[in-house]
Amino acid sequence: MTTLDKAIQPPTQVRANRALRTVGLSLAYIILTLGLFMTLVPFIYVILSSFKTSLEIIKVPPSLLPEQWTTQNYLTIFNDPKIPLLRFYGNSLFVTVARVAITLFTSSFAGYVFAKYRFRGRDVLFTFILATLMIPFQVIMIPAYLILVSMGLIDTLWGLVIPSLVDAFGIFMMKQFIEGIPNELLDAARIDGTGEFRIYWRIVLPQLGAPLAALGVFTFIATWNDYLWPLIVITTHERRTLPLLLSWYSNQHGSNPALTLTAAVFVMFPVLIVYSFFQRYIVQGVTLTGFK
Amino acid sequence: MKAKFVLWMTVVSLILMACAAPAQPASPAKPAAGEKVTLRLWSHNNPAFVQVNQVLVDAFMKENPDIEVKYEQFPYEQLIQTLQTSMPAKSEADVIEFFGTWTCGYARGGRLMEVPGDIMPLAQAQQLFFKAPLDGYNCDGKLYGFPNEFNLEYGAVLVNPEIFKKHNVPYPPQWKTFDDLIADAKKLTEADIAGTMTVAGYNYIGGDALGFAFLAGILQQGGNYFAADGKHFNFESPEAKKAAQLLVDMAQRDKVTDPILFPDEKAIESFFQGKTAILFRGPWAAASGLVDYPGFKFDYVNVPPYFGNKHIFAADSGWGKVVSINTKYPDAAWKLVQFFTTNQANAQTWNGATGTIPALKGIVDQPDEFLKKAPWVKPTFEILPGGTFIGNVGDRDQLWYQIMSKHLLDAIQGTTSLDDAIKAIHTEANAMVDAQK
Amino acid sequence: MLYMMVFSLFPMAWVVALSLFNYSPQRAGSGFLGLGGINPFIGLDNYINMFASNQPARVFRQSVLNTFLFTLLVLPLNLFITLPLAVLLESVHARIKGLFRAIYFLPVISSTVAVALIWGNLYNPKWGLINTAIKAIGLVPPKAWLSDPRAFVIGIPLAMIAVVIAYVWQDFGYNMVIFVAALQGIPQSIREAARVDGANAWQEFRHITLPLLRPTLLFVCVLTVISSFQTFVIFQQLTAGGPREQTTPLVMSIYLNAFRFQSMGWAAAISMVLFLIILLFTVIQFRFLRTDWEYS
Repeated sequence: MTTLDKAIQPPTQVRANRALRTVGLSLAYIILTLGLFMTLVPFIYVILSSFKTSLEIIKVPPSLLPEQWTTQNYLTIFNDPKIPLLRFYGNSLFVTVARVAITLFTSSFAGYVFAKYRFRGRDVLFTFILATLMIPFQVIMIPAYLILVSMGLIDTLWGLVIPSLVDAFGIFMMKQFIEGIPNELLDAARIDGTGEFRIYWRIVLPQLGAPLAALGVFTFIATWNDYLWPLIVITTHERRTLPLLLSWYSNQHGSNPALTLTAAVFVMFPVLIVYSFFQRYIVQGVTLTGFK
Repeated sequence: MKAKFVLWMTVVSLILMACAAPAQPASPAKPAAGEKVTLRLWSHNNPAFVQVNQVLVDAFMKENPDIEVKYEQFPYEQLIQTLQTSMPAKSEADVIEFFGTWTCGYARGGRLMEVPGDIMPLAQAQQLFFKAPLDGYNCDGKLYGFPNEFNLEYGAVLVNPEIFKKHNVPYPPQWKTFDDLIADAKKLTEADIAGTMTVAGYNYIGGDALGFAFLAGILQQGGNYFAADGKHFNFESPEAKKAAQLLVDMAQRDKVTDPILFPDEKAIESFFQGKTAILFRGPWAAASGLVDYPGFKFDYVNVPPYFGNKHIFAADSGWGKVVSINTKYPDAAWKLVQFFTTNQANAQTWNGATGTIPALKGIVDQPDEFLKKAPWVKPTFEILPGGTFIGNVGDRDQLWYQIMSKHLLDAIQGTTSLDDAIKAIHTEANAMVDAQK
Repeated sequence: MLYMMVFSLFPMAWVVALSLFNYSPQRAGSGFLGLGGINPFIGLDNYINMFASNQPARVFRQSVLNTFLFTLLVLPLNLFITLPLAVLLESVHARIKGLFRAIYFLPVISSTVAVALIWGNLYNPKWGLINTAIKAIGLVPPKAWLSDPRAFVIGIPLAMIAVVIAYVWQDFGYNMVIFVAALQGIPQSIREAARVDGANAWQEFRHITLPLLRPTLLFVCVLTVISSFQTFVIFQQLTAGGPREQTTPLVMSIYLNAFRFQSMGWAAAISMVLFLIILLFTVIQFRFLRTDWEYS
């Protein structure tokens, strides 16, 4: 029986199928929208709450929209002398950018070496690197802390950057991609007399656009939202990163939910902006990592 | 060529590491005269404490223009954790607002600086300060700081006159025995149609409160919570059981509060929102609440002992100031400490704003100025003589929050039996002592 | 590489060593790395202690249980949401798909501290949205979502369920995007063939999609399991491990023992347990992924 035979279905069946399809599709939309709603509710809640007064938030039953829109919360946080906002954004930015830049560099560089070079012990070394992927941060955070103590980097922003400069995952990812770059390209450059580093810089790097962007964005988000490591390392108020700041602030003003929720908005906002611009890369990145 | 390349890469990575390392500030040598000194001060983040500490810090800086003080606060739990992680790294603050009972643990571990003899010898301190708070800072005959506060978590409660009047319960309270208080509390409790408690009659539940009530209960029956060797604990005495039973009965039998609806972290808030008639907390709770709810009408009144008719209780030293062993400016640091603690006028300001009982005898002897700021503290003066320092309890916070209050709360909530709770307290407290040697 | 050594392998060895000592950074030891002297070598005592009846051991065992329970709850809930949603999303018009996907991913990029803060408010028994919604339908809401040690649902602490919900909300976008991509990877030709053969949507899903998704499914499972073993922040910020350690995961146990109670040797031993559990699952992952997942 050929597929052609089967394709000729009685008209009633075709219509039934089409109807089913439409119903199915609408159902799909409904469910998807429901999912959307569930996803967005907490965000809507926090934004609306930031424009209410605490008294209104703790009312029973709570109101949805603010009865009286107030920007007092934003002003309070903005004008709080204990929170030089720019300073904290700066801290987070510094740590994040430093880590992203260095990670991208080391990952691509190392990935290049592993992909295109043959040297003794290469595979063994690479396996070692993969092995470190299995070691979750929480397991080595104690010695990492003790190492920082001996290096004198406790309570510094560099202390946040250092331990995670080399990313096994990044190296792995880069290696996979670089392997795909045709060797002829590189050999041609070598014959021309180009130095190794320049080959890396001029030829390999530009080809890595997509995966680099993905890795970069991932590292950005992970570092920006990192909480546990900064919690252990940073003790001085001025050096706190945003998640730490939020935690401290919400503890300070525990009985004032409007204020603390507004603080949450301050912290989430920059990432949301970055996200809306680079959303494509992020999704791409997840896809790429999902498929190795 | 390949070897050269690999070498190149190694060099680059090493350079990266090297660049990163010296990024922390070089430690300054002892400053020459006239150079600006920067001190760091840490405290926990009770709002009243934070406010007055800042006021005094500003005053200090005005008096000492060559010293700058940077003041940072932490949530209570995080303060302890921060101390633990920063001390080994020598990155802790110069002056720290410490709780007396913590001091000896850190002092014996070599983390704190002893009070220099030329600043104040121990004998002189003992003249100036009450014994109970000072003993917290006195480790094996050496002094490691000075108290600001005579911590009292016993013998008096906050009361809300409105609720009393609403239920026609006599006000001011006429309690002769503790049972009288319980009887009143039962009348003051309110619940909604579903039976959920909306107003607590007597909220005595809290990490600190339960532990103190427990210990006072033991002492008042003539018992002792220390074992014969003075190092281990004895919590399995009949006195301990009876003291714990009282705590359990108040919630289960008398139903004067609900531990889930009125938890520790919301207790003060609930009181100042009018949801609790009687709240068992130290006088500092009033100052703390007034920061967020200024003008709230309340009183602070004495309560009868749990057992017997004499006020006997264990006092837990109190908040004070210590200096870290790693400070680079010991002279300036001790100057700041004294500014807070031994300077009577400042100490009085501090006590007035935080609603804490003064540790300096001088203030209690002439309390008028102080009482203008914190009038509610007055009833506690009568009780002070009954207090003795709690003794060497090891990790005070662990004993209170992880062991005593935790199991007592379990018994109160009915998740364990009273006997199991007592047994657990006894076993764990002693395990803690053993682990500490 | 030298770097890698310093920051990954050396610490690993250190942790193993630490776990054999009774170490506290408060006491400055005399030997190498501060081990030895007043931080005595105690061999396998830390590990033996894990089976003891004292309080730290009990809390440790509770945290192991909690971690497994958490994972057991998270995995099916996550898959139950992400897989169907991804399938539905895939069958929808391309332009809207991008928007949906972007929004579903929003929680993933939000700071967990902020997420915990918001959900903490949502869970408030008096004025939180959740209890308000429950009351609106006419049901009786729980007295407290996050702090009632006696609240259980079919034997599971309510607080744990609360954390699971918040965690899955934050995390589901990640798996969903992976699934969507995987679904896109299924060649149209196969789909067409199935449709032409008269298969309806459900049959198509069961007989074509699901088998082809198997490798991705496995991958997502292992990934989700491993991340849930490493969760810390949402627990710490939402419930602080309470009530009564009902929501204390392994990582929190390590953190508290190391940095609050200063027993780093004991904490190191606990870290080893965590490592072994994760190692086990990672090995399973690599083993399964070796299977051929090309469809020819």
